[in-house]
Amino acid sequence: MIVEQIIAASIVMTTPILLAAMGGLVNRQAGIVNIALDAKMLTGAFVAVVVSSATGSWLVAVIAAALAGALVGLLFSLVITRANANMIVAGLGLNVFVAGFLGFILTWVYKSSGTLRLPDVQLLPHFLPESVSGVPIIGRALAELEPLTVFAWATVFVLPFLLASTRIGLWVRVTGNAPQVARSMGLPQKSIQDFSTSFAGFYSGLGGAHLALASIGLFNEGLTAGRGFIALAAFYFGRDRPVATAMVCLLFGFLEATQIRMQTAGLPPKLIGTIPYLMVLVALCIAGWRASRRKALS
Amino acid sequence: MADASVESQSSMMSPSIWLEKGFGLAFPFIVALVVAAVILLVIGENPIDIFSLMAKESFGSERRIAATLSAATPLLFTAVATAICFRTGVFNVGVEGAFVVGGIAAAFIGFSLPAGMGFAIILVAFAFAALVGAIWLYIPGVLLAKLQVDEVVSTLMLNFVAFGVTGYLVNGPLLSEVSGNNVTPPVHEAAELTRLMPPSTLHAGFIVGILVVIAYAVWTRRTPTGFSAAMVGYSQRFSRAVGISVPASIILVMVLSGVVAGFGGASHALGQLHRFTDGFSPGYGFTGMAVALLGRNSAIGIVLGAILFGALASAGTTIQLFSNIPLDLVNIIQGTVMIFAVVEIGRLRFLSRRAAP
Repeated sequence: MIVEQIIAASIVMTTPILLAAMGGLVNRQAGIVNIALDAKMLTGAFVAVVVSSATGSWLVAVIAAALAGALVGLLFSLVITRANANMIVAGLGLNVFVAGFLGFILTWVYKSSGTLRLPDVQLLPHFLPESVSGVPIIGRALAELEPLTVFAWATVFVLPFLLASTRIGLWVRVTGNAPQVARSMGLPQKSIQDFSTSFAGFYSGLGGAHLALASIGLFNEGLTAGRGFIALAAFYFGRDRPVATAMVCLLFGFLEATQIRMQTAGLPPKLIGTIPYLMVLVALCIAGWRASRRKALS
Repeated sequence: MADASVESQSSMMSPSIWLEKGFGLAFPFIVALVVAAVILLVIGENPIDIFSLMAKESFGSERRIAATLSAATPLLFTAVATAICFRTGVFNVGVEGAFVVGGIAAAFIGFSLPAGMGFAIILVAFAFAALVGAIWLYIPGVLLAKLQVDEVVSTLMLNFVAFGVTGYLVNGPLLSEVSGNNVTPPVHEAAELTRLMPPSTLHAGFIVGILVVIAYAVWTRRTPTGFSAAMVGYSQRFSRAVGISVPASIILVMVLSGVVAGFGGASHALGQLHRFTDGFSPGYGFTGMAVALLGRNSAIGIVLGAILFGALASAGTTIQLFSNIPLDLVNIIQGTVMIFAVVEIGRLRFLSRRAAP
């Protein structure tokens, strides 16, 4: 029973991180380190709640959230590619800006500080029939399965193909990994980067929509709780490979799901929460150490 | 960054450079004010009225000026800590984390040493905070210098580690037994920094901050290590060719940055809050980054930028009371300043790009 709960909770917790990480991964493949994933997730969550309440349709809400994320991503990208802004500072600035902007709307339009509760918010549907909960171990996870989680995992397994074998996938990778080649081939590098950042925004927006509409159905200023940065940690640790990154996301989701249980076992949740970040530090060290050893050998 | 540091070296050259510099300082802020004005117009407020109210609320009286300087105090430290690294081409975004761990270190000394030690507690607390901050940023410094570990990611990750560890400490080992959740016990009265203009919260930490900015100015202009660090920021290849040790410079600036950030945390803990709390810093490290960018790593620019952002913060809180304009307007302005501080338009280059990591 506990195992069932943990599996179900881990999968739910993984989805928003996974969605944002898939977007950020493509973005980084195109040579842009996207530090503003969190801002786009927050935008997506806000739009999802507002649209879901207004239309009563989760599908419209999710699409609107993704498009809002993509729009923010595109504007962010234009600042980087056309106005030559430094991507790290601009990204941190965008996080501050979006948090301020949404807080402003929340206070001004909805007269609420911090939390937005709207009537008739439609949550993501659990589309499998009730009877699947009888399946051993994963029954509960199956019963709670919603479309965004399926979409996220479908992306994980389609993305390697898209990146390796389609024209746009190759363009993205060439732009980030061999800019000289991209230039000599005459590829529209800036537009490709704009596309990849919009893509990251699209997926982060979906991640935000999942956070808002998976179970709670409301928006809160602290809803993302740094998940955009956890996603960043995930694709750094997964070295920009979709499947490896997804496994890291699953681990982070598992840690999040078990945090509360670990607390009762005497492990402080705040310290558990630092594990993703420490893992990335260790991974970076190992990668750096390997590279320097290789250099020393040759 | 490279351009900015070189320009600050050659700032005595001609009036046109001064003009460009002044414009570079003002441009992001003007854009931010335009953005804020548009938002105010949209919600049906007169921006001129609001801006003049904000100006009055931040500089209108002695008390308001004190509040502004008080809000500017932590930014002096975090901006200098950021600028030390940025002018060397080291993209340290971990000042926030070092500020926070420095703060908890100082608070710990402030309440755990015997109260009878008097003024010495403050010295010990600042020293300990500087040590902890220095060690905190020494780690990513060494990783960058020796293993080429991307410092943006390592320092960013360390920020979250700092939040987690300090969050654990204030809820566990260092939790105050009388004051409820998320706070350490208050520091001894002897460890509190003097309030300069009571009842305002402006405290002696402001003077320490100004001294730090002066020390930074001297370091950049008059010392060999300050010069060679700027050279490393300008061109690593050139530095290597003339015999400057790039790894040593990187580690040095990271440690210095940690010391300054630690001082900032100590000043905030002992002067402002008189303890450490969860949510100790509402992003002072990142605002400090905006200040350093706006001031283009120059000492005068940093002081002006810190006061400007201090004014925004102190006006923001009162403006919410008097005119029901949400406080978030300040964040909107700050975010816009950060984004436009690094934008290059036409021939005006505000910050050169670093090669993608």
